[in-house]
Amino acid sequence: MKRAFRLLSSGMTRAVWLLVLMVVCSFVFDRLGLGHFGKDTAFSVLQYFATFGPIALGLGLTILVREFDIAIAGMFGLGGCIAVLVGRLDPLLGLAAAIAVGICGGALQGYAMVRLRLSSVAVSLGGLLTFGGFAYVLTGNRTVSFGRMDIALLVNTPILEIFSLRSLIAVLLVAIAAFFVSCTRIGRDMIAVGGDRQAATTAGVKTEAILIGTFATCSMLCALSGALLSFSLSAASPAGLSDISVPAVAAVILGGASFSGGTGRPLGTAAGVMILGLLRTGLTTLGVPPYVHDLVTGGVLLSVAIADGNDFARRLYDLIARREASMSSTR
Amino acid sequence: MTDRAERIATGGLADRMLRLVTMRHSVAVVGLAVLCALALMTPGFTSIPSLYALINTASFVGCIAVGMTFITLSGNVMSFALGAASGLAAITCAWLSKFGLAAALLGAILVPTAINALQGFVIGFFKANSLIVTIAALALINGAAEMVTAGQTIYVEGDILDPYKGKLLGVPLAGIAFLICVIVGQLVLRYTQFGQRVVLVGSNSRAATAAGVEVWRTTTWVYTLAGLFSGISGVLMAARYGAGTIEMGAGFDYTAIAGVLLGGTAVAGGQGSVTRSLVGVTVMAVITVVLLLRDFETQYQYLLTGLIVFAAILAQGRFRS
Repeated sequence: MKRAFRLLSSGMTRAVWLLVLMVVCSFVFDRLGLGHFGKDTAFSVLQYFATFGPIALGLGLTILVREFDIAIAGMFGLGGCIAVLVGRLDPLLGLAAAIAVGICGGALQGYAMVRLRLSSVAVSLGGLLTFGGFAYVLTGNRTVSFGRMDIALLVNTPILEIFSLRSLIAVLLVAIAAFFVSCTRIGRDMIAVGGDRQAATTAGVKTEAILIGTFATCSMLCALSGALLSFSLSAASPAGLSDISVPAVAAVILGGASFSGGTGRPLGTAAGVMILGLLRTGLTTLGVPPYVHDLVTGGVLLSVAIADGNDFARRLYDLIARREASMSSTR
Repeated sequence: MTDRAERIATGGLADRMLRLVTMRHSVAVVGLAVLCALALMTPGFTSIPSLYALINTASFVGCIAVGMTFITLSGNVMSFALGAASGLAAITCAWLSKFGLAAALLGAILVPTAINALQGFVIGFFKANSLIVTIAALALINGAAEMVTAGQTIYVEGDILDPYKGKLLGVPLAGIAFLICVIVGQLVLRYTQFGQRVVLVGSNSRAATAAGVEVWRTTTWVYTLAGLFSGISGVLMAARYGAGTIEMGAGFDYTAIAGVLLGGTAVAGGQGSVTRSLVGVTVMAVITVVLLLRDFETQYQYLLTGLIVFAAILAQGRFRS
């Protein structure tokens, strides 16, 4: 009981409650006849989750250890392109190649950070442009088609009405990550590194290994997600930055993570992705033009970025205090 | 202390020369020499049209790089929304051109300046993560531009902007505008209190706060200034192409930050200058033109930009530690 309560009062409570609220709202909308929300809605939300879940999960892990990987968009695109180009020989080989490139790219970034004592933002900025550049060169700045409709069908066919192979993989990945972070020593070490790196090092945590591992995991998840999306679209193109980064970052922060480090758990991140997915599906159901998605996710990201600001609480407090002071002086 | 190090430390003209030729500089000098040789060996590089193309390319990105330099110096790494801001400026310029030159210029400068001021305020006042705010701004600007223009290109009415794509003493006006931006930027950075605050905030924001600098004001002004320079870039593009779309500035942020870092401005902030960015942007433009003339397609330029940024950042870590 106590344990369950503690779980609920953690950083992800916010996200989970928001998600529950939105699901309830959707049902009410459906009953009132304002829009249609049924099993197909759940399916499309889960398809969204299949793409953004792993990316946000990886990004969330880097934010948990108080770093930040901007290269997610680059690795997502590169993973997709490699999977399609190699996958023409054998899809499984393509998937493996994408995952291998992800792990190597991430580990390389982590190693550079640790060795040269550079900030993760700087290194992953280089990573973003380099990975993206490789994706452009490999595809020749074009959309490359995969031409394997059987694979596209395989990863997208509904399972149990609302899932697909792709979304089941994403759910499984979240479950594994949640287990690792909450129940293993590695997870505890990650939280320690994110909370207070100095103290963690003093206490004997292998900080450098944790950082390199986290970055390798993050890049691997991005490459995997890119590969699966390319399989499902049967095509790959070097992707745009804001298309991937905006929802991924918004989901992570919505899910209770903070740039101050040490907070945010995989389940919270997953809830964040589901919220955005539901929002997007809802907007599509209402038939809004495409730019509204940009405006809404951009607005959500801006709001959560402000709310996560280090000085947000202080500024709010100052404002309230000032207002109270002026009210008491007029009285 | 070794003999050489002692001589470098104590000074004298010959020793100063020696100091210039430290490891870092020798890398830069060799790199520049190789690039010059490559450029001169490329057929058609020294032809007039290719030099004009070089100057125009360098100028559009260059104005943004001047703004980016301030952002990098202030410790905020980079903005992802300056290219979009310049595209927005080009759209505004083209759309307002029917109301006359003054309205077009004023609007094109004011819109990106205001948008960036807002970003700077949010970043400074709430200490929000600067990269996240600018990524959100990128999405919002793209969405808003799509909403307003419905994906259409907005054309400049009449020929009121034509004087701005002309030449002065054989140099395209865009290039002259870029040079003025560099000079103004450098003067602001070196000889104003604001410039000193930017460097102070970038090198140690807590020390700056302790010294009585209101960091959020400096940050707001840094972004405002960056918006202003993006606006100038937008006007130049609108004049050059006689039209404005949001696509125009896409990717400029990356070339600009590549130029800034290649010039040697520290990615962690607090160290660097606008003139360094001038060198960096020029080198990037020369590379672009050489690649184009040697029949490499755009994707190689993307990859090279990435590798240059990566190498520049790694080199900074190496020389620092």
